[in-house]
Amino acid sequence: MLFLSKVALRYLTSNIIQTTLLISGVALSVVVFVFITALINGLALYLTAEVTSKIAHVELEPPNTVSRVLTDNDRFVAAPVSTFRRKQIRNWQQVLELAEKMPGVKTVSPTIDGNAFLTRGEAVLPVAVQGVSPDKIDAMADLSSNLIAGNADLSAGGLLVGVELAEELNLAVGGPVLMRSERGAERLIPITGIFKSGVSSLDRRVAYISIGAARPLFDLPNGVTTISIKLDDPDEAPRVAKALQDATGLKATPWQEKNKTLEEATDAQGRTGVFIQSFAMIAIIISISSALLLSSYRRRAEIGIMRAVGISRRFVAGVFVLQGILIGGISALLGAGLGYQLCVTLASIQGANGRPSLPIAPSEGGYALVITLTIIGAALAAVLPARAAAAVDPVDAIQQ
Amino acid sequence: MNDIVLKAEGIIKTFRNGDEETRVLKGIDLVLPKGRMIALQGASGSGKSTLLNILGLLMQPTSGELTLLNQPLAGLPDAVLSRYRNRHLGFVFQYHNLLPDFTALENVAFPAAAPAGRLKRDVKERSQMLLDRVGLSDRKNFLATRLSGGQKQRVAIARALINSPNLVLADEPTGNLDRKTSDQVMMLLKEINRDDQATFLISTHDENIAAYCDERIQIEDGLIAKADSG
Repeated sequence: MLFLSKVALRYLTSNIIQTTLLISGVALSVVVFVFITALINGLALYLTAEVTSKIAHVELEPPNTVSRVLTDNDRFVAAPVSTFRRKQIRNWQQVLELAEKMPGVKTVSPTIDGNAFLTRGEAVLPVAVQGVSPDKIDAMADLSSNLIAGNADLSAGGLLVGVELAEELNLAVGGPVLMRSERGAERLIPITGIFKSGVSSLDRRVAYISIGAARPLFDLPNGVTTISIKLDDPDEAPRVAKALQDATGLKATPWQEKNKTLEEATDAQGRTGVFIQSFAMIAIIISISSALLLSSYRRRAEIGIMRAVGISRRFVAGVFVLQGILIGGISALLGAGLGYQLCVTLASIQGANGRPSLPIAPSEGGYALVITLTIIGAALAAVLPARAAAAVDPVDAIQQ
Repeated sequence: MNDIVLKAEGIIKTFRNGDEETRVLKGIDLVLPKGRMIALQGASGSGKSTLLNILGLLMQPTSGELTLLNQPLAGLPDAVLSRYRNRHLGFVFQYHNLLPDFTALENVAFPAAAPAGRLKRDVKERSQMLLDRVGLSDRKNFLATRLSGGQKQRVAIARALINSPNLVLADEPTGNLDRKTSDQVMMLLKEINRDDQATFLISTHDENIAAYCDERIQIEDGLIAKADSG
């Protein structure tokens, strides 16, 4: 063992109570750092997962019609491209085939989107209707796990509605409801199931039917309005969207673009977390620095003896820096371990709805970061005491 | 062959306290030959501790020149002076002599182990030999705090000898020991002086301690008043 390490360790173990208290204090700050990091990352993951499980990760739509500048002799005339043509994807089977072959794509579903009114007795409510492939509805919107009544099988031509919509129209599974589409078509459709996603805009305003049932309602015998895509990794959506847009010429929108507020909210949480993490690091630095500064003062006479017998200032400073690094390293490992255990315990506590009471992600505690920062912080915290120790005048210290 | 270990010429030391200046040493000329045991005597406040600190390279003189083994020391940086202290000088102090968290053997080995980076086997063996020589081989694994005053001083003497110094400086080495233990310590120093041919400069105001030395230097009011061969 290096003699420097031996001296540093001997100093740390000579007052085991003080060292234990110091390590406990620093470890506690590390636990706070880990907890906050796991909580904020867990919350971001939870919110993102909640949102991405219910929506398409990439949506392909016909490109927007744009005004085109036409010249007429010396005059400029802005004229829109024809809006008389229905916006639809006619060659959707080819696009579907292309998208399915793309790496990272999990499910592709053609969709017919449209607006309609649901009428029951005198009550009329507007709904956004999504005509989807019956075999892909769960892959796209995970409705089965959110069903509170009936089933998600749309193959028989039924309708899936959200719980708020069902309550307002007093709908029950098996009962019929009249749908009048934006194209003027009417149809009496039985309720297949009622879902509760927890997202009010979905539970109140969205209804699902099969794509086959949607075609006559929205007067689209061949084309589709949208192609919805689910990915293995939702974070890959911008990359996949760009690749599909380049390949098909369709307008491809990643889910992040439609959920800017979610990104802003998670960013704001992240910034709050950085503040708390910074305070934890400052607490670590102050604890170690003050304890070692006190130690350097208490050991002035010993340092004076060392300096008198020719031990270099560098060695004396090294003893204190190494003490800081040892305290930081031990505390970081201890705090990271305890922090992980705390997060695992908290994540296992379930709330009334059967979900974890805290959306904490034990694996996202930033362990490598906190260990590295704590050791670096501890080494920096030891610099001031080390300089003070190295500056001890042997004559003053011995005569004291 | 170099018979002069340390030479001091015109050493002046002035301490400043605000506007007030106190000249403690007023021009000391001194030669410490090899193998001699010299007593530095003087009343309290005469300047003998200050002179000892300057000769031990622990304090810079205000003016004057020091030469250690023919090497002028003026203007050398602290790191070099520390190295010289470590290699060529040994110290025995009256108080605060040992590092309390280390064993007797580790205290003895410290001045050799720290610069080397580790406690090598030859240093450990030499430390054990020195502890044996001062009669403390059975206390080698005792923490310094568990040793008596006389035992601590003997460990300090062993530590002063670990790097085979040319000069050992002792400031009142028996100042807080009883008569019997003082005599034991002085007999030990005398024996080491005779066997190792190391030069000893011992600051004391005790006539009995000075009687063990070959020479006496009397310092009064910052000047050497008298130098006698014993």
